Formats: sequence, C-alpha cells, structure tokens
Amino acid sequence: MPPKQTKGEYIETDTGNKVSRKSVILGSQNIILGGKTIIQADCTIRGDLRRTVAPGQHSGNVAIAVGRYCFLSRSSVLRPPGRTHQKTFSYYPMKIGDHVFVGEGSVVEAALIGSYVHIAKDCVIGKFTIIKDCVRIEEGTVVAPNTVIPSFSLVSGRPGVVIDELPETAQEGLELKNLYRMI
Amino acid sequence: MPPKPRPTEPISKPPTTLASSIVIAEGASLTGTYPIKIGANTVIHPRAKLSSAHGPITIGESCIICERTLISPPDAGGLVIGDGTVVEVNAVVEGSVGTGSVVEVGGRNCKLGPLTKVLDGEVVEDNTVIYGSGQRRVDVSGTESARRRLLERHIESLRVLIPSNPSKFIN
Repeated sequence: MPPKQTKGEYIETDTGNKVSRKSVILGSQNIILGGKTIIQADCTIRGDLRRTVAPGQHSGNVAIAVGRYCFLSRSSVLRPPGRTHQKTFSYYPMKIGDHVFVGEGSVVEAALIGSYVHIAKDCVIGKFTIIKDCVRIEEGTVVAPNTVIPSFSLVSGRPGVVIDELPETAQEGLELKNLYRMI
Repeated sequence: MPPKPRPTEPISKPPTTLASSIVIAEGASLTGTYPIKIGANTVIHPRAKLSSAHGPITIGESCIICERTLISPPDAGGLVIGDGTVVEVNAVVEGSVGTGSVVEVGGRNCKLGPLTKVLDGEVVEDNTVIYGSGQRRVDVSGTESARRRLLERHIESLRVLIPSNPSKFIN
C-alpha cells in the first residue's frame, strides 16, 4: 500500500514545527523545539534520557533543545550524551542551534551544535562533541567523542577531521528556510 | 475520531526467560520462535529489536541494548551476548559477543567503533579495538574492572529513566 501523503503526514504545532506521525519521540516533556523545525518519519529523539543528578537552578530538566528551522531527516537519532562524573552516571542536555540539518540515518550524541550546521547522511557524531557555527559534515563521517569542531569547517572521514575551510559566504548556502517551505 | 485499532502482530511471541531485575522498555520488540534469554540487570531501550526467527538469543548480565539495534542470529546455532556488553544505537549484531564488549553502530572486552563491520565467520580476539575504516589494535590498558563499574552506574541511572514493563514480554 503506498503511503498516504495527503492526510496529515505531519502534525503542525503552534510555533510551526512539523513533526511526522511516524517519528519516535520519547520523553517529549523534556524536549524543546524552537519553531519551524521539521522532524521526518522514523526519526528518534530520546528526551527521556534526562539528567539524573539534581539539576542546577539554570539547567532545569530539558534534555534536548532544538532551535528554529532545523531539519531532522528520516531515521536520524538525537540522543543526549551521558557519562559518569563524580561516581554518578548522568545524561547531559543537548543543545542544537538554528538551521541545523541532520541527514538520513545519522546518529547525533553531541553536547552542543551551533547554527547553520549541515550533517549529511549516515554520520555518527560522538558523545559530548561540540560543533560551532557554519560547519558542513560530509556523508559517512564518524566524529570521535569529545571532539570540538571550529566554525567554517568542512569535516570528513573516519575519524572525522577538518579537511577544508568553508568560505565566509557559507551561511547563505546552509539556510534551511526554503527547505521548510517545501514540506 | 477514535484511533483505529492497530492490526495484531502476525509474528508469534517467542518463549522468553527474563531475569526479575531487568529493565525492558515497553517499546522494545522481541519477535521470533526460538527462545530469548535475558540475564539480570540488563537494560533494553525502547525500539530495540531482538528477532529469534532463525535461532535462540542469550543475553548476559548487566548489558545495555540501545534503541534501533537489531539482534538476530543467522542460524539455529544461536547468538550469545556476554556479560557487561553495550550495544549502541543502530548496531546490527548477528554473531556472538564476548563479555565486556562495546559495540557501536556495527571477543571479550572488544570495542567496535561506529560503522565498522566484522565479516561473516570472522573471530575477533580478546581486547581488540576495531576503529576507523577497519583498523585494529589490541587494548592492553587493563581497565576491565573500571569499565565494569562505570557500566553498573550507567545501568543504575537508566533504571530510573526507563519505565520497565517486563510483563508484556512474558508468556
């Protein structure tokens, strides 16, 4: 049976997020979507993996915060990173900026992703990775845990290393407003 | 409008032996006809798939099986996952795994890096680390017991986070 595209593939929220009915969102009370974010079918978001140590005054109980105009493709996984610190294991919140594209089948366990980041398909972003603004990560890249990727980088390989710089005009090419309108 | 009743699963429930102290999320799926055995203190994340259609599955104590993993033995010989194994997100396991291993996306105390593949019939020696695009090295750091302690803390915290429902899988 062909999938029905006509009747509500996506649920649209008040702030313009479009979330596929077939996506797997666990612990939705711990997830913040900034607005105009698209979550495609089969995408898994693990909001249930929240902090288990007493959260400080500022952090609250948010497990995953996503900015505006983000695009999470099919079968991608967002999962907060976890580690043992001072003899207790805890997951730590994951922050994603605006205009972030996550390709098909990519697994993201980063601590922080800036704005205008393009992660192509089948990538693995290791635990506690920090990705700054305007970064392009090529297909099949495996970014090792705890890596810090500077702004305007082109990252590729296993393990993912910076192979080139992006031009200063890269931000225009990484905007996702048009992609949002297409869905 | 009331939601339509979902079609009942045509796949038969496998005979399961679950230890009482396991954490298994309701969203996990155990399918197939051969028996599935899960040891004490093991955590099965939601959306993990264990398919015993072709052979029995035995999972040891203190394992973590993450979401979107597929564990399916290729033949009736079955598959054994040793104690203290972590099977990370999106991994596909079709062979036996030794004690204390970490399998990420792809022998004893081994660690398979993300997106690495081990071929059919291949035996990976104890303490091997497979990383990058197929490079291998032998880990001689001897941090086995330290790793086990970290794992136990990890399991304790997951026990709080993941609502467990073993009754759904017992028949």
